[in-house]
Amino acid sequence: MQRTVARSRRRSVLRAGAPLLLIGLLGGCLLPPEPVTEVGEDVFNLYVIVLILAGIVFVGVEGFILYAIVRYRRKPGDETLPEQIHGNTAVEVIWTLIPTVIVLILFGFSMATLGDVEARSENPGVTVQVDGFQWNWTFRYEDGPVVQAQGGEPPVLTVPVGEPVRLVLNSLDVNHSFYVPQFLIKRDLIDLGENGRDNELEFTITEAGTYAGQCAEFCGERHADMVFVVEAMDRAAYDEYIAALASGETPPATGGGDCATTIEIKANNTQFDIDSFDVPADTDFCITFENQENMPHNVAIYEGDEAIFTGEFLNEAGEITYNVPALPAGEYRFNCDAHSQAMVGDVTVTQ
Amino acid sequence: MTGRTMQAHPAGEHEAAAAIQHGQSGMPTALLGMLLFIASEVMFFGGLFATYFNARATTPGTWGPPEGAHELDFALAGALTAILVASSFTMQFGVWAVRRGDSGKLKMWTGITLILGVLFLMGQLYDYSQLGFGIADGVFGTTFYTLTGFHGAHVFGGAVGLTIILARAVRGQFSARNHVAVEAVGMYWHFVDVVWIAVFSTIYLLR
Amino acid sequence: MATTTLEPRAGTYRRSWVLDWLTTVDHKKIGILYIANSFLFFFAAGILALVIRTELAVPGMQFLDQATYNQAFTMHGTIMLFLFIIPALSGFGNYIVPLQLGAPDMAFPRINALSFWLLPLGGILIFSGYLFGGAAAEGWTGYSPLTSDQYSPGVGTDLWIIGLTLVGMASILGAVNFIATIFKMRAPGMTLFRMPIFVWTVLVTAVLILLATPVLAAGLIALFIDRNYGGSFFDPSVGGNPVLWQHIFWFFGHPEVYIVILPAMGVVSEILPVFSRKPLFGYRAFVFATIAIGLLSFSVWAHHMFTTGSVFLPFFSFMTALIAIPTGIKMFNWLATLWRGKLMLTTPMLFALGFLSMFLIGGISGVMLASPPVDFHVQDTYFVVAHLHYVFFGGSVFGVFAATYYWFPKMFGRKLNEPLGKIHFWIHFIGFNLAFFPMHQLGLDGMPRRISDYSPDAGWNLLNLVSTVGAFMIAVSIVPLLINVIATFINGEPAGDDPWEGNTLEWATTSPPPPHNFDRLPPIHSERPLFFLTHGHGHAAARPADLEENDEDDVERRGGAV
Repeated sequence: MQRTVARSRRRSVLRAGAPLLLIGLLGGCLLPPEPVTEVGEDVFNLYVIVLILAGIVFVGVEGFILYAIVRYRRKPGDETLPEQIHGNTAVEVIWTLIPTVIVLILFGFSMATLGDVEARSENPGVTVQVDGFQWNWTFRYEDGPVVQAQGGEPPVLTVPVGEPVRLVLNSLDVNHSFYVPQFLIKRDLIDLGENGRDNELEFTITEAGTYAGQCAEFCGERHADMVFVVEAMDRAAYDEYIAALASGETPPATGGGDCATTIEIKANNTQFDIDSFDVPADTDFCITFENQENMPHNVAIYEGDEAIFTGEFLNEAGEITYNVPALPAGEYRFNCDAHSQAMVGDVTVTQ
Repeated sequence: MTGRTMQAHPAGEHEAAAAIQHGQSGMPTALLGMLLFIASEVMFFGGLFATYFNARATTPGTWGPPEGAHELDFALAGALTAILVASSFTMQFGVWAVRRGDSGKLKMWTGITLILGVLFLMGQLYDYSQLGFGIADGVFGTTFYTLTGFHGAHVFGGAVGLTIILARAVRGQFSARNHVAVEAVGMYWHFVDVVWIAVFSTIYLLR
Repeated sequence: MATTTLEPRAGTYRRSWVLDWLTTVDHKKIGILYIANSFLFFFAAGILALVIRTELAVPGMQFLDQATYNQAFTMHGTIMLFLFIIPALSGFGNYIVPLQLGAPDMAFPRINALSFWLLPLGGILIFSGYLFGGAAAEGWTGYSPLTSDQYSPGVGTDLWIIGLTLVGMASILGAVNFIATIFKMRAPGMTLFRMPIFVWTVLVTAVLILLATPVLAAGLIALFIDRNYGGSFFDPSVGGNPVLWQHIFWFFGHPEVYIVILPAMGVVSEILPVFSRKPLFGYRAFVFATIAIGLLSFSVWAHHMFTTGSVFLPFFSFMTALIAIPTGIKMFNWLATLWRGKLMLTTPMLFALGFLSMFLIGGISGVMLASPPVDFHVQDTYFVVAHLHYVFFGGSVFGVFAATYYWFPKMFGRKLNEPLGKIHFWIHFIGFNLAFFPMHQLGLDGMPRRISDYSPDAGWNLLNLVSTVGAFMIAVSIVPLLINVIATFINGEPAGDDPWEGNTLEWATTSPPPPHNFDRLPPIHSERPLFFLTHGHGHAAARPADLEENDEDDVERRGGAV
């Protein structure tokens, strides 16, 4: 009798505990990635404290639930009632005060970490305006260079390692969010109109490397595609990079130059006004591009998946003339890099 | 059956119906229902006021009608306020009348209240026609028309209620002991008046 | 247990049952309509969940395009919250609260019917977007400016707004009804502090609905004006403020989540004592904790907005952390109810215990989210998706299932089959944890939410696959439930008035009750009027106030021995 009771108890614990064990295994380690920013380290440490407290609470409470299921299970045939305990004021006070203390401690740690996270340095190593729009990013460095997505690849934000990087987060349309999981921080891009102040985010990357980032505020159809990359390198390499960017910047200068052939393309309502054009082969030509709405558009020419020519973006209504270098005869495609499905057409280059 | 069991509430069908109608002692159930509904309406207007105040706080420059439109007609709004406040008094006179059992005065005061309400609505529409800006003319226009417009809609709802109790009074359906609908419409009408005072104070006095 | 059957009285004419159900104002029928309607929407939104999880099982877009995916998760969230969980709990409230109060019906039976019928209408409107160029696709939270007519043209979003406004009106009318019923129609002897805990939670929930839902209505109307009449509430290009939408939405949205959880907590608080065979520990503390949660719920809304940069973080973080305290008090009181009880692991009890475990996890992840620095990392990731599913699904839906198994016998006169119920529970419990626990890790690893696809190199592949398997397990677990319900309707074991030896008044009448609910009510001197009827006063721990009555006749009426 004793043995069967004990065995059935063990079985009950197993049946109850197994799914929970499964949960634990599935959870992985329940830790964020190893941070590569200074603020990330603060957040990671706070998180560990919180996780430990959470673990204690979980084990305690869940443990009691499992214990109760096993220990207090009614034996078959037992019709007597247990002691009818209605409550106990002392115990209520205790289990009100203890959580209050725990919560206040957690709040204290939170606020301390928040201070570190939100701290702003006097002299950031670089300040970059991050333009977020449906569904890509443009990075505008404080001294002028502009980085955009090229040829279907995510745009790369290159920054110096070990120095504070300040980002000014500017949305061109709907809400977006700048998020690099390995930085353990994100911040929203919200257009607050003329009167609003853009959000800023500041972090110091501790380890050179390439880090994947992604928009983290649902922003419409291609939200899932709105990715970017942060490349952190030592100051010398960074300076070289910025210099190269400033001098060899594509696209070519606006206006000027003789255009033997000029194609006029307009953009409005997320559409081009033409869906094809012809140009002669082996001859430079121009595209006069007019953006008629306050949404970012450009014209880029592709051969298959490869970008042959990427025109500079017009983020607001305006006009620009692209000087396109000569193309060999063949069939190409042109589209807007921000709206490559809605704004697309054919280019035929003939001998 | 022991005496004790007799104390147990006999809850058959007849008693059940009475229980629904009258509830326990205190405020009649229907009136409590109206009060609760009014609480929800207060929160609705609270939401609209929140949009007004937020817009006002985040808009630079002077807060008011857009360029080229008239200034707000304070005198007209003041007159409308007087009309609505007066109508609350007349409504309450009607409630007091029916509590005394005076059906004739009930009809008179209800009728006057209804007329005042309709006057308010007509005045509001006249104001709209003279303003020179619309709901699509910037944040001020949007919040102005939304706030006053929904208030006006509630006045209209109240006017419908007044019409119904007036019709019922004419049919002799109210007595001193049986007039919950009058109390409920009265409560609603006072609420509509209070909301107007808030709207007026916010839009015309506070600016 | 005596079994009572009701025969139609001689002389009553038979109406078409369809017409009867369409025009009923009986809270019991309306309650069943609510519950049945809710489960239909549950299945619809559940299928959407399977669609989502199937697409996410492996990287790459397999069978959906992005626009369809976005509609799917928007509809899933909207329908689950507004057309399944809240109406299901409302339905149980509708059926049970008047019974538990010893009342013959709700205070306003016709408004009760109106409240119900607005629901399928609202739901159909929301779904009808699919027929008119695409359903709403901006997430159930509908953030501006994405929901403006510029970025979400098409009528789907407008239908979503109108449908939700109707559903909101239904809720508000229902809340008026519940509050009036609870304050005005309690049986003699039932003071507020002798009401069942389920009634208390319904009362606080109704107050939250009454005060929070109108704010959502204001926001929805403002959004409609922006979209259709050139309004400038939320459009930054004309002076509007997109963050204003978030404030208005979450001022409603946070009380909303307590609206979702409190009645389920009430259900659990009914079930645990009955199947532990001892009273709820700390009834008064429980009541005060519930009220505290209700009050606090209005002060935390901006914790959904920590990353916007527009929020005073310390205040909202503090208030959010505070809400953990009354929630903890409830958890400890539940545990103390189990302590030294004699637990009967019936299906309703299993779901109630499952609630405790799952809500614990959801509550813990919630406290983590209350810390802004932690939130900065995991906001808008699958960590939040995990949290919300542990509290909504592991919490409220477990509560709905617990209520189903517990009160089905009262509603239909037959007990659901226990073995099938246990099969449902275990498959569901395991599937649920498989589906949602990995999401904590996915979020911590940085997987954002609301994405139709993910990079195969991000390291998220395995956990997504596991999660999809879990989702399908949940779907499979519904099969024993459906079989159970159908089989029980056809040939279930008759339940009698009080199959569970319950404590509260719904068990003091037939199963199902007569139209006016009670022929006679027992005397009410405690929060467990039936307990004292059954067990008399031979208990050392019974309070003196409970020892007044000599209830022989009532005991006899219930078929028990004196």
